[in-house]
Amino acid sequence: MLEIKNLRVSYGTDAVLTGVDLEIKAGETLAIIGESGAGKTTLGLSIMRLAEASVTGEICFKGKDLLRLSGDEMRALRWDAIAMVFQNVNNVLNPVHNCLEQVAEPLVAHRHAGKKYAREKAGELLARFGLPRQRFKAYPHQLSGGEQQRVLLAMSLVLDPDLLIMDEPLSSLDVTTREELGELLKQNGGSNARLVISHDLDTAARLAGRLAVLYGGRIVETGPTVAVLENPRHPYTRALVRAYPNMTTVKDLQGIKGRMTRPVSGCAFHPRCTQAITKCKTEIPPLVRHEGRAVACHRGGIITLLATENLARSFGAIKAVDGVSLAIAAGETLALVGQSGSGKTTLAKTIMGLHQPQAGAVYLEGKKVTDRKKAFYRRVQMIFQNPGESLSHRLSVLELVTEPLDIQRIGTKAERREKAIRTIGEVELSTEERFLDTYPHHLSGGELQRVAIARALALDPDLLIADEPTAFLDASVGAKILKLLLNLQENRGLSLLYITHDIAAARKVSDRIAVMLAGKIVESGPSARVVAAPQQDYTRRLLASAASLH
Amino acid sequence: MHISLKREIKRSHFGQAGLAILALVVIAAIFAPLLSGYEPTATSVNSLQAPSAAHWLGTNHVGQDIWSQLLYGARTSLAVGFGVGILSLILSIIFGVSAALIGGIYDQIIMRIVDALIVIPMIIIVILVAAYIRPDLPVIILLLSALSWQGGARVIRAQALSLKQSGHIAAARGMGAGQVYVALKHIVPDLGPILLVEFIYGVRRAVFIQAGLAFLGIGDPMQVSWGTMMRDAMSYSYLNVWQWWLIPAGVALSLTIIGLTFVSHAAESVLDPRLRGEAVA
Repeated sequence: MLEIKNLRVSYGTDAVLTGVDLEIKAGETLAIIGESGAGKTTLGLSIMRLAEASVTGEICFKGKDLLRLSGDEMRALRWDAIAMVFQNVNNVLNPVHNCLEQVAEPLVAHRHAGKKYAREKAGELLARFGLPRQRFKAYPHQLSGGEQQRVLLAMSLVLDPDLLIMDEPLSSLDVTTREELGELLKQNGGSNARLVISHDLDTAARLAGRLAVLYGGRIVETGPTVAVLENPRHPYTRALVRAYPNMTTVKDLQGIKGRMTRPVSGCAFHPRCTQAITKCKTEIPPLVRHEGRAVACHRGGIITLLATENLARSFGAIKAVDGVSLAIAAGETLALVGQSGSGKTTLAKTIMGLHQPQAGAVYLEGKKVTDRKKAFYRRVQMIFQNPGESLSHRLSVLELVTEPLDIQRIGTKAERREKAIRTIGEVELSTEERFLDTYPHHLSGGELQRVAIARALALDPDLLIADEPTAFLDASVGAKILKLLLNLQENRGLSLLYITHDIAAARKVSDRIAVMLAGKIVESGPSARVVAAPQQDYTRRLLASAASLH
Repeated sequence: MHISLKREIKRSHFGQAGLAILALVVIAAIFAPLLSGYEPTATSVNSLQAPSAAHWLGTNHVGQDIWSQLLYGARTSLAVGFGVGILSLILSIIFGVSAALIGGIYDQIIMRIVDALIVIPMIIIVILVAAYIRPDLPVIILLLSALSWQGGARVIRAQALSLKQSGHIAAARGMGAGQVYVALKHIVPDLGPILLVEFIYGVRRAVFIQAGLAFLGIGDPMQVSWGTMMRDAMSYSYLNVWQWWLIPAGVALSLTIIGLTFVSHAAESVLDPRLRGEAVA
């Protein structure tokens, strides 16, 4: 129905869209998602040829390139075949016509229909969009926002356009109206194609079967809405989902570091991306299709940072880790949940090479880890269960945090010191000389844990394995530590393997949960799913015994 | 775990007494030339004299000044004592810590060597070896060191094995630290008190054995030493001047050993009682 190829739109020297490719089939609803300023509305206006900008590329509507049509030809199509519901409701309705006249008018104007027929048709549509019959004669200023939106939607459908573009159709509505109108829009779908433009993931999820994520003037990810929202592949899509308050995800909200800037060379998202490589700065990634989805990313979307394959380690007859396969994506939190003795710590230590695995392998970015050299530890760091024990009592705070840099021989002495102090600041500890010279036995539990975290972060690892980081802390301090870890994840793109017996804490900080019992992973999946619909009895038991205030 | 060893030893009465005695011996050794007007090896015609104003402790069979010999004998005892103490401690650390860290077959081999050395009486080997090579003082020090590290190695290995399990060592490994780094930065510093006790123990044993060897006439007979003095004095026991000759050397040796014992006793009390059992064993 509609096919857009390499659409570029710029206002003067400001390039808003820099090569958009899209396709909408008849009867399909596609949602364009993006932050404000991403160029969503411009895209809609460009299709309508209403954008006052220089537009290049191709917009093929039923085989005709809209950009090559004359003004008259376009006028014939506009509203008749392609209609658009604008974002700002208040200015669109004509204040001197009542609802019925507003909706009937296009029929009269475009189709030369008789007034009576037009009103009948309009009334029917208005009723379908839930406007009470006695409000038909009301004037726009007498309507509530929701009612105005109903009128607008009825109006846009009255000519039965082949393509309907809706810019933020539900955004200004309250949740119950939104729900009702969303349902009505779906019911009154018909065979037309629809393009929903929204910054609101909920709107997209309600209305659209397919989703395209727009960032910095390009599509960065497309695919079926459910798949994209549940398992985003592009770092930006995942960040959007994480920032969106909803009832499905259970993890705490996280923002996206930095802000959108233009123009950006290479991948538009690279300044905010946590897995950017040098190529991302120079080359624009193409949108690559794979199994009905597409991602524009040089790294093929969110990478799998660390994976284990059938890892096994036993102590005598006890199989502490018994064939565990896990995968941790860059920038995600995987919570490893299980009772004590289930092998969580052994698994962590085996990944770290502190225990030799008896079978299986560990892969770092797809490469098998055979010999743990210093380079491995630069990328993977661990926070041990008891910070008091894991910090040598002979070293001061500064020496402790400098130690990994000393071991790895990074930089000069002065640089190491500076880096250590910066990291200490990053974990929200004092960087005063007096604190730096303090020994661990003079620190509180929370401070000890922060020092341990700072020490692990000094090497700028990509993966942090946190073994019960809050087990020795009281609730309020523990909460701060978890918040800190999440903030570090937001800012550094840190992947976390969060080991805990506490599924209540796990659901707050993790994207995915893996439940471990007697050395095996018995269940794993998105945190929301594991918590809401556990598949295993053991998971149900864990959930039932988790902390609750009722 | 933050215990000031110095403070603990100074606080204990045993420690104070021991340190005072050792200080005396050290001063005597260092300032020997100032405290005596005679060369210890200078002979004279005034042999076998009782104490007098000229010779405070009398003279021996070839007319050497006993006070002077006593002072210079302290040098020999301390040189051997501290030399062996340090060398054998270094060997103990190297073998004990490496056995604990490396483990496996290496550990087995080292520990069997330790067992063998513990079973074989050191003094017999030293006598046999010395009989052949007529060792001078540095060789005695090397020989005693090579034969007296085993006990310390065993204690240090046991402690290093338990330290090996501690969190901060796992953490250091998790930063990519190698064995040598872990040994030097994390294990040896934490052995602190044990090392001191082992060291003093080694010094004490070496002082005693050196005196014994000299008494038996093993080693350089020209070397001024308390053992040699006692041996020479014993051979003149039929004359009634020998006591002026024998007793000062015996008292000096006993005092030195008592001083060392007191200090090691004070140092041990600093340690965890659990460790104390091992350190004494």
